[in-house]
Amino acid sequence: MTSAVTIPRHGGTGGRTAVAARARQVVKAYGAGETRVVALDHVDVDIARGQFTAIMGPSGSGKSTLMHCLAGLDTVTSGQIYLDETEITGLKDKKLTKLRRDRIGFIFQAFNLLPTLNALENITLPMDIAGRKPDKEWLERVVTTVGLADRLKHRPTQLSGGQQQRVAVARALAARPEIIFGDEPTGNLDSRAGAEVLGFLRRSVDELGQTIVMVTHDPVAASYADRVLYLADGRIVDEMFKPTADAVLDRMKDFDARGRTS
Amino acid sequence: MTVMRTSLRNFFAHKGRMALSAVAVLLSVAFVCGTLVFTDTMNTTFDKLFAATSSDVQVSAKGASDTGETTSDTGKPPVMPASVLGKIRHAQGVKAAEGTVFSTKATVVDAAKDDLSPSSGAPTIVGGWNGNDARTMKITSGTAPRAPGQIMVDADTADKHHLKLGDEIGVITTVGTHTARISGIATFTVTNPGAAIFYLDTRTAQRTLVGRTGVYTNVNVTAAKGVTDDGLKKNVMAELGGGYKVQTAKEVADANQKQVESFLNVMKYAMLGFAGIAFLVGIFLIINTFSMLVAQRTREIGLMRAIGSSRKQVNRSVLAEALLLGVVGSVLGVGAGVGIAVGLMKLMGNMGMHLSTDDLTVAWTTPVIGLLLGVVVTVLAAYLPARRAGKVSPMAALRDAGAPSDARSGWIRALVGAVLTAAGGMGLYAAATADKAKDGSSWLGLGIVLTLIGFVVIGPLLAGGLVRVLSAVLLRVFGPVGRMAERNALRNPRRTGATGAALMIGLALVACLSVVGSSMVASATDQLDKTVGTDFIIQSDKDQVLITPQAVQVIKATPGLARITEYKTTVADYTTPDGQTLKDTDITAADPSYASDLRKKTVAGDLKDAYLPDSMSVHEKFAKAHGIHLGSKVTVAFKNGSTAHLTVRAITSSDDVIDQGAKYTSIATLDKYVPADKRPLDRLVFATAEDGQQAAAYKALKSALHEYPQYKVRDQTDYKKALKDQIGQLLNMIYGLLALAIIVAVLGVVNTLALSVVERTREIGLMRAIGLSRRQLRRMIRLESVVIALFGALLGLGLGMGWGATAQKLLALEGLKVLDIPWPTIVTVFVGSAFVGLFAALIPAFRAGRMNVLNAIATD
Repeated sequence: MTSAVTIPRHGGTGGRTAVAARARQVVKAYGAGETRVVALDHVDVDIARGQFTAIMGPSGSGKSTLMHCLAGLDTVTSGQIYLDETEITGLKDKKLTKLRRDRIGFIFQAFNLLPTLNALENITLPMDIAGRKPDKEWLERVVTTVGLADRLKHRPTQLSGGQQQRVAVARALAARPEIIFGDEPTGNLDSRAGAEVLGFLRRSVDELGQTIVMVTHDPVAASYADRVLYLADGRIVDEMFKPTADAVLDRMKDFDARGRTS
Repeated sequence: MTVMRTSLRNFFAHKGRMALSAVAVLLSVAFVCGTLVFTDTMNTTFDKLFAATSSDVQVSAKGASDTGETTSDTGKPPVMPASVLGKIRHAQGVKAAEGTVFSTKATVVDAAKDDLSPSSGAPTIVGGWNGNDARTMKITSGTAPRAPGQIMVDADTADKHHLKLGDEIGVITTVGTHTARISGIATFTVTNPGAAIFYLDTRTAQRTLVGRTGVYTNVNVTAAKGVTDDGLKKNVMAELGGGYKVQTAKEVADANQKQVESFLNVMKYAMLGFAGIAFLVGIFLIINTFSMLVAQRTREIGLMRAIGSSRKQVNRSVLAEALLLGVVGSVLGVGAGVGIAVGLMKLMGNMGMHLSTDDLTVAWTTPVIGLLLGVVVTVLAAYLPARRAGKVSPMAALRDAGAPSDARSGWIRALVGAVLTAAGGMGLYAAATADKAKDGSSWLGLGIVLTLIGFVVIGPLLAGGLVRVLSAVLLRVFGPVGRMAERNALRNPRRTGATGAALMIGLALVACLSVVGSSMVASATDQLDKTVGTDFIIQSDKDQVLITPQAVQVIKATPGLARITEYKTTVADYTTPDGQTLKDTDITAADPSYASDLRKKTVAGDLKDAYLPDSMSVHEKFAKAHGIHLGSKVTVAFKNGSTAHLTVRAITSSDDVIDQGAKYTSIATLDKYVPADKRPLDRLVFATAEDGQQAAAYKALKSALHEYPQYKVRDQTDYKKALKDQIGQLLNMIYGLLALAIIVAVLGVVNTLALSVVERTREIGLMRAIGLSRRQLRRMIRLESVVIALFGALLGLGLGMGWGATAQKLLALEGLKVLDIPWPTIVTVFVGSAFVGLFAALIPAFRAGRMNVLNAIATD
């Protein structure tokens, strides 16, 4: 596996820890009193730099909430979240927005692209918003990697679902964020298109040294990751390194069975 | 029943989205109802006033008008000898009769020589204090006038001008200036609609207003018990014979009412016209709202269709929502209308016309008209979107939301729009090149209507190009945010088109009127420069106030003046060579020097010759219409005078702005046929300074006329400015009324944006997630709004200037020779529209900024 040292970075030099993001004693609760629902229950987690991490768990386990909190999209009830050395919990909207813009990339399950912009414009949008010029060479490399060179002038409606998600991947990569969060990025795709997108994510980690966190409930998708975290009832209950689809599936079945008996 | 329930639920679920449409309906309905209530209330007020102030039977001199006011332009009221009173008292059924004198031709000034006349256009009445007036007025301080040095004033006028007992008052009439001190102040017991009223004792009134005692203008007759007014009138007429005007209380009140009504009707229909424009604009808003709601609900409607709702049911459920909206908006509108009426009454109060809310009149027809209008307009406007909703296929439930684009209807639209616009353009061209103003004006009307509809139809197609151009100029500097704003404005051209079109209507009218108004000023100024050869124009700003002989003497005595020209107008019955008799046709009598003061073009003869004895001039159109040539004889029977046979010695051209259509003769000729006491007073006096003495003469004239504040001395610069101000004032009033339509259009912009923001919730969430700041997001929405507003402004101003220019070309036949496009106004409106856009985006942008990112991106 390619080491994190080769990750091209803008701005700072060295001194980077091997942890891209971490959560400490994070609690996320909704409501109060008797109707209080705890989505995250004192979660501690480290996201390794230059690795592909998958978060799995049954519906309502808090996996999406965890990702949203890590990405600065949602606020926590208590605890701290750090992106590299920056504590993002407690940041004001303005700073958070800037942080998302400059340091984080997103791939959502659906509706990833602005229908009024063409593929290329969508890819460069975060940099445009920031008023930065995209690095041309890098952009070309990303575009070729995801295989969109001949689709750049197309509007999202003229692209297939798989192509749209590839554009979203390219957008996430193009700005060279420290970390990319994917919220079921292949959830709406058929298995072939899904495999394609996951392949790109894998390659971007291997070849470009990208850090990726992905929420999924699909064991096959999770098998592309370096590490799988299992969430249940707002707690991290297990993890698995270098997973295979079968191993993940077995582990899930295991949880399901335990869930039923308990 | 399910249909109704769905409609109700939808309506209340989206009450926020409906609110602005409801406000649009509300505003339009409120304006209509407000106008109706206000004018009805005015009518009631005057009804009461006239009923209260008329005596059972009123006798006045033959020349008096039906309303008892002075119409003669001799400056003196028509009078009858005092002996009439005795005769009337002899008539059967007369309980009492009292003679009185009053005039509306006097000017009243305070000690500082400030005019005390109402500025609202209501009359100034000076009269003898009499028993009939005592019925409706109570002396609230001091005493009634009993001696020549005493005068009583009504309380409203006293309040307005801070008059106290003992203050000096001057009454200026053709007899001279009479000064007196205030002995009493009287308050109306009925609503005073704004007239300034001054009372003298009867003898002093006779001396001051008529110049001699022993005459009355009116005799108020009270009937004995059991005698009807009609009966009394018959008896009085039998006693007096002919030669007098005898009217019952009802006849006087009706005549008065008729006069007031004609004025009120002009106001009423003008205001209703503007309400109509607001309705028209409101239609766009409602269409847009429902189109967007239907588009947003496409999936839901598809589901309803999939589970078995018929087209008709879907259609009906949308219409039912519209009906509900119409009812809610109209009901609130009727209520607001009463508020508007009260507001208008307060406004009139500030202008000196005091109306009492006790008289507030809400006819049963008012709410009915308001409701009907509001509901019918709303349902009609929602019909198209409802039909579109009915057409949604059950498959839509499965597809992603979003209206399918239909390219075919775009083509049809383009074709229809182009044809209409072209036809309208041809109409305008025909108007611009018309030979006759009458034909031209129908072409103009047709052209305006067709181009307006054409632009509305073609608007969505123009939106594409114009928005791109506007964005290229304005938005590119805002970088990606500007680009996204542009794309958003372009993504639904129909919506942008309709929103812009709503703004277009109001602004087109503003542009058109401003072009016509400024062309009027420019044409008149141009003609003044070219034709006026005199230095000073002296006249009153009130049409009914003429220049007294004393004031003319003062002008004549002013040093530094080379010549003075007097100018009078009167009416006569003409008999023209073609054998026609024209009743009450105007004739202008002036001094011969007028030919140099106003150098009118002639098509035949020399205008100077029209001032020869027994001569006159006519204008070209009149000459053509009546077979008049140079040397033709026209029989002119002067009113209050004898009949003259005048020779036409000049024919003037008809296409002037100043003195348009005037027929001139000399004052000497007029004097020959009209006895001295019947001659009209001067309407205007022109004064020309000796060479190099202009500045000194101007000063001298102003100070000489200090005693007569009702007359204004103006040099050409003043005159042009006064003209400009006058037209400017009129335009401002119209702009004020058009503001209603523009407000509704702005609501439309707000509505479109608000609904767009809702529609784009997920997009906004996505953009926020990938790093668009709140500020950038708000700016994006503001810029979109600005572009839509500017698009509407561009269409409106362009269209309006086209209309205005056409109107000018057409009116060139009537002397409107110069086209003047008021660029400052046009540019101000354009720039103002950008601000309107910013303003409209305030709330939608704020709401978009507050949107929760997570909720926005959460899938379903």
